[in-house]
Amino acid sequence: MKKKLLKALVWGCVLVPFILSGAAAKTLKIGSMSPLTGPYASDGTDIKNGVLTAIEVFEKEGGIPGYDKIELFAQDTACDPKQAVAAANKLINLEVVGVIGAYCSSSTIPASETLAEEDIPMLTPASTNEMVTDRGLPYMFRLCGRDDDQAPASAKFMKESLGAKTIFIIDDKTTYSQGLADGIEKACTDVGIEVLGHDHVNQGDKDFSAVLTKAKDINADIVYMSLQGYSPGALMAIQAKRMGVSSTLVTQDAMFQPKFMEVAKEAAEGIYLTYGYTDPNTPEYKAFENIYVPKYGPIAAYATYAYDAATVLLKAIKAAGSTDPAKLKAEIMKMDFNGASKRIKFRENGDSGSTYIAFKIENGKFVPYWDPQKGLLK
Amino acid sequence: MDYFFQQLINGLTLGGLYALIALGYTMVYGVIQLINFAHGELFAAGGYVGVILLGYFTGRGYLETHPILCLIGAFALTMGYCAFLAVGVEKVAYKPLRRQPRLAVLLSALGMSIFLSNALMLTQGVYDKAYPSELFQGGFDLGGVTISYLRIMILAMTVVLLIGLNLLVFRTKIGIAMRATAQDKIMSSLVSISSNRIISLTFAIGAGLAAAAGVMVGLYYGSVRYDMGFLPGIKAFAAAVLGGIGNITGAMLGGLIIGMVEIFGAGYISGQYKDVFAFIILIAVLYFKPTGIMGENIDDTRV
Repeated sequence: MKKKLLKALVWGCVLVPFILSGAAAKTLKIGSMSPLTGPYASDGTDIKNGVLTAIEVFEKEGGIPGYDKIELFAQDTACDPKQAVAAANKLINLEVVGVIGAYCSSSTIPASETLAEEDIPMLTPASTNEMVTDRGLPYMFRLCGRDDDQAPASAKFMKESLGAKTIFIIDDKTTYSQGLADGIEKACTDVGIEVLGHDHVNQGDKDFSAVLTKAKDINADIVYMSLQGYSPGALMAIQAKRMGVSSTLVTQDAMFQPKFMEVAKEAAEGIYLTYGYTDPNTPEYKAFENIYVPKYGPIAAYATYAYDAATVLLKAIKAAGSTDPAKLKAEIMKMDFNGASKRIKFRENGDSGSTYIAFKIENGKFVPYWDPQKGLLK
Repeated sequence: MDYFFQQLINGLTLGGLYALIALGYTMVYGVIQLINFAHGELFAAGGYVGVILLGYFTGRGYLETHPILCLIGAFALTMGYCAFLAVGVEKVAYKPLRRQPRLAVLLSALGMSIFLSNALMLTQGVYDKAYPSELFQGGFDLGGVTISYLRIMILAMTVVLLIGLNLLVFRTKIGIAMRATAQDKIMSSLVSISSNRIISLTFAIGAGLAAAAGVMVGLYYGSVRYDMGFLPGIKAFAAAVLGGIGNITGAMLGGLIIGMVEIFGAGYISGQYKDVFAFIILIAVLYFKPTGIMGENIDDTRV
């Protein structure tokens, strides 16, 4: 009996350090969802890298009290609603305290409903469809702009700055691109631009010759290209040029990717696009750039928003000293600071708003061209 | 009328590319009754080897001085590389399973397809790779129809490859051996045809054609990406079935039909249904003529 007790005691002592270390090393788990494979893998990877940069910044500044480290669980949604819901469930099982993502509105919406059941805050850096925040989910936040901000801004730009009278619209039937294209159609009618046609292509298409021949035949002042991701956009720009389409090409925020020019090259010159304005000269942006660029390369559209989204979440956890969603929400609503992308202040519905301005592609760069308030920028 | 002719040319270009890919499916099926689902990925690999080679030539400045020579070199090397790759794929994934049930080989083919597309993604990255765009710039206007030099090059190249393949299959000893193996593997090996060698050769030729199509797609559309093989692979497979799988002329015809239907469906009705039209045609043909347009009656040696 005594021997047994002694044995148990010895084993107990051996196990103590393991039990203790297990309890003491506390990890703050946050999740991200974005397409890491499939046609939008590049944008999705930018999102993941943006979040990783934010975590790196926080850890450098001493982390979050009570936690040894911050760990990111990056899930792949492949821009597929089913996979996004599966990813959300996986993150729930991992007990993450908040999620950055997803990318496609069509996967953000179902995933956010799964996360909402467990009251896990979700901050999207990239989904612009109105439905994302209009459903009234208590813990849904958005760092980028909304389609119903972008469409009127773009229509106003085409009318006032480009003097357009007619337009031909092409979208690729995703929640984002089609929603925006429908918005453009409506906004154009409102400002008095005649919509001569609205055609669709399929996701994953490489050959746009049929629809571009149609565009050439109709010969509207503007061909509006609403596609998900820069890759089909670049292909369409190249083919439009080779086909001899003489209309002005106008497109949207998904093309705000340096890779767009890398692929489309000279075909990209002279294309206009609208994008939520980020001032690259602010100290916050420069600080972000200094860490991000050496590690992951040029900054693309969603990396900045993802960085800000993760910063908002981590700041809220630090300020609240807790991961309780209600307390986090209270902190997030109180926030008012300059992020890398813009000034961050949330409205009641979880939107943080964005000013869409028009850019023109000149010499392989996005040049700010027109502002809805100020007009031409040069 | 210009509109019609422009769409006709669009359809010819796209159909020609589908036809080139479809030949690989149909030849492999003809010889060993296997649908090589990894074929679309061989096409994508061809696109990548092409961009790597042309990028190298551009970097050295060769492309400016000898554009034609560079292009021929890039096509030849790409086709050769993909032919070797296909033989490797056959040796690793299909040959050991040749005596196993058909389902095992089919699964192995699907696995190979996923493996190859992921290998491309991991080695080449998730971003698009751009082709040098200085080649064959420009074109001319023919009564309102824009024809670029690049398209003429692609159409000419397609025709040359198709004629070459026809000559090979119907006019040479190798062709006779291939057709004999397709008809009866055991009997053909009794008359001293090495069926293993013929099977490898079939894979190699099919992959070479797909690789050429890959480079052409890269040149024509301006860029390649790792997942580009999937959709054209499925379309070309449909084209092969439409033409009568196992039949070379049928595959060419099927490719052209699928390309044309897609372009005209998109051009005259609506772009959003173009894949639907292509597959409705396929289903309709199979419904009324299950062997495909050019397919012979299926006899017991083929199934």
